[in-house]
Amino acid sequence: MSEQPFTLAIPDADLEYLRKKLDVVRLPDELDGAGWQYGAPLAHIQRLLAHWKDGFDWRKAEAEINKLAMFTRDVDVEGFGTLNIHYLHQKSEVKNAIPLLFVHGWPGHFLEVRKLLPILTAKSPDHPSFHVVAVSLPGFAFSEGPKKPGFEGRQYAEVLNKVMLALGYNEYVYQGGDWGHLLGAHVAHQYGHKHVKAWHSNMPCYRAPKLLSNPFLTLEPYYSAAARQRISKSAKYRVTGSGYFLEQATKPQTIGYSLADSPVGLLAWIYEKLVAWTDEYPWTDDEVLEWISVYWFSRDGPAASVRIYHALTGGSTHDSFAGAARSTIPLGVSYFPKEIIQLPKSWTQLLGNVVFESEHDKGGHFAATEQPEALAGDLRKMYGKGGPAHGVVPGRNGYD
Amino acid sequence: MPSEPNPASPNPETPFTLSIPQAALDALRQKLALTRFPDELDDAGWAYGAPLADVKRLAARWADGFDWRAAEAGINALPMYTRPIAVDGHGTLDVHYVHQRSTVAGAVPLLFVHGWPGHFLEVRKVLPLLMASPVDHSDGHVSFHVVALSLPGFGFSEAPKKPGFAGRQYAELFNKLMLSLGYEQYVYQGGDWGHVLGTHAVAHFGGKHIKAWLTNMPMFRPPSFLSNPLILFSSKLPYADSALRARAQDAMAQYRAKSFGYMAEQATQPQTIGYSLSDSPVGLLAWIYEKLVAWTDNYPWTDDEVLEWVSVYWFSRAGPTASARIYYEMTGGSGDLVSVLSTKRTSVPLGLSYFPREALQGPPSWASTTGRVVFTSTHTKGGHFAAHEQPEELVGDVRKMFGKGGPAYGVVPGKDGYDA
Repeated sequence: MSEQPFTLAIPDADLEYLRKKLDVVRLPDELDGAGWQYGAPLAHIQRLLAHWKDGFDWRKAEAEINKLAMFTRDVDVEGFGTLNIHYLHQKSEVKNAIPLLFVHGWPGHFLEVRKLLPILTAKSPDHPSFHVVAVSLPGFAFSEGPKKPGFEGRQYAEVLNKVMLALGYNEYVYQGGDWGHLLGAHVAHQYGHKHVKAWHSNMPCYRAPKLLSNPFLTLEPYYSAAARQRISKSAKYRVTGSGYFLEQATKPQTIGYSLADSPVGLLAWIYEKLVAWTDEYPWTDDEVLEWISVYWFSRDGPAASVRIYHALTGGSTHDSFAGAARSTIPLGVSYFPKEIIQLPKSWTQLLGNVVFESEHDKGGHFAATEQPEALAGDLRKMYGKGGPAHGVVPGRNGYD
Repeated sequence: MPSEPNPASPNPETPFTLSIPQAALDALRQKLALTRFPDELDDAGWAYGAPLADVKRLAARWADGFDWRAAEAGINALPMYTRPIAVDGHGTLDVHYVHQRSTVAGAVPLLFVHGWPGHFLEVRKVLPLLMASPVDHSDGHVSFHVVALSLPGFGFSEAPKKPGFAGRQYAELFNKLMLSLGYEQYVYQGGDWGHVLGTHAVAHFGGKHIKAWLTNMPMFRPPSFLSNPLILFSSKLPYADSALRARAQDAMAQYRAKSFGYMAEQATQPQTIGYSLSDSPVGLLAWIYEKLVAWTDNYPWTDDEVLEWVSVYWFSRAGPTASARIYYEMTGGSGDLVSVLSTKRTSVPLGLSYFPREALQGPPSWASTTGRVVFTSTHTKGGHFAAHEQPEELVGDVRKMFGKGGPAYGVVPGKDGYDA
């Protein structure tokens, strides 16, 4: 099926069903003075739950979401048949705007592009403009997920590239964080130069260097306090914040039962990260609940979304970069201070051909939500006149 | 049977009858009726976790077919009690336990300690065997007075209310429980957390109170820093048979590679996963069932067996979330497995029972960093839940270790386990 406009319309029965489940929630207790030490605090969850039952207006949120230019189309994936993929496609009035593919991660979704849209598509002689495509990854939000095992980096990249080609963007640029970053490495590897001309990441991590191949980079933490400091910032995530990763990478079905069946379980699982991974972002309850609701009401259900961890890591037997060799297409990176994984900046060159780097003093993992101006500003600098990736897409340099 | 009165310990004991309110049963049924299942990848099998067909089948029976009241009546046939135990800095916790006294007056007092996702009912099959023949003692086996508690936060024991309830606190609670029952000196048997807490119990109360102990999860600290303990593990496991050693190595490798996610989450964010475990019956069911199958040696679980097991968690006094916190408290919120063991070495006699599908086991030589190994036994079948899977085998080890002629015979003065 070719492109169809997409209107989000969760059936009344689904809303009613959620209401019934919220009415019979059984909450745990909590240790005295627990704070955030043990996970999402009970008082927060109770408050969010109360608001979800009686205050949060899904239909209002849905109406706002429907103001976005959304579509679905069938995409063939070799060996997996057809997946019906949901995406947002916002064109700029600038005819030669740069086609940009924005890719979310977990527990993110396509709406993370929302705040970037007006900035990226704005027309001005002073900065480039973009046509923005934000895809819901297979198994997330309103995209169909694969039904068979073996849907890995290669397949995700295939879906992403095919959507862009189908929209007439034979050549485009890519932006992502979280899985958007990890899949960016795959897209760059598979389609670099031919289709994807440059990419940008707001979570620029990669494999650590090996002593024999990169002695100076490997040894840098030993003599550079700055390098050590960056690595130490990752420790909190690694030591106390990555249990979800290991579970999702090894037993996605097991945790999937909880995420599918328990609204409060899903809420806590995601909310913990929305707070832990951001830089004191002032989440409103409505914001959180809209975010969680996209997962709760997702087409294939929340359990489908965590399978990517297993698929891309071989069930935790290798890292997510396996199969994605370093591409030489231009790479831009943005460093945000509360990003969960931070590595020495010198290591970024192992990830790709770094032509643009930017460091910020505010913002965390969900950069597009927390610091949309900063992130969009980086893209404008990278692709604008005089920028290191200006004109990478022939005939679409972002200006009329 | 009532406990031996101990004038030194005024703590009152109350007989315990399990009686889950009908409202709780109705609420469970109501939730089950509202279950939303995920889908599953084609031909997933066990590769991604508990299979959908299994979970659906179990959930359906849980809602309609599984008779909790019948299970409850069966549980109530066990001699159960509660009593308040004070723990320094944590106030008083109401502790639930099974206490079965042998008719042999000189029976050896034995404390049986479960783990996660286990519970006190793991003592059920070994209980009659540990009593030995009650009528004429013709089987000649050593006999025990058995105490099997619900760990704080598990089963029907109250949970700690504050952070910091860890090795020392569990040890204190165990010892006070045994003292309150009149058992000044006793022996200890455990696996999983029962093993880990055993190292702490012995560190604090070994010698004076705990005279010897047997573990069925013989995991210990390596004697020196090693970057890959797994290498040493595999070469020195005490299985005579290479096929058995291979099965054990496979269990260990599987655990480390594929079965560790629950530990990483519970040790770092127990409250987060706790919302799911508390709120979703199938979520809890899948979380536990996955381990009941993965960690056993082809044990033929019946659906009712699984459902009774999970129901104990679902209906637990403190709720299922409390049970996850032990991982956090014992690892300091880090999930570092090795750090959970006590570092103290004692000369308290230690016995090791090796079951081939136990995922966490190390060579006997490593055990000597913790205690004086006097007994080692290897089995040809059985896994993590040894008391449930292989009760005769486990009790066989207990008998060999503590019976006449055994290396720990008579460790408890005046209570050698036989009639005079």
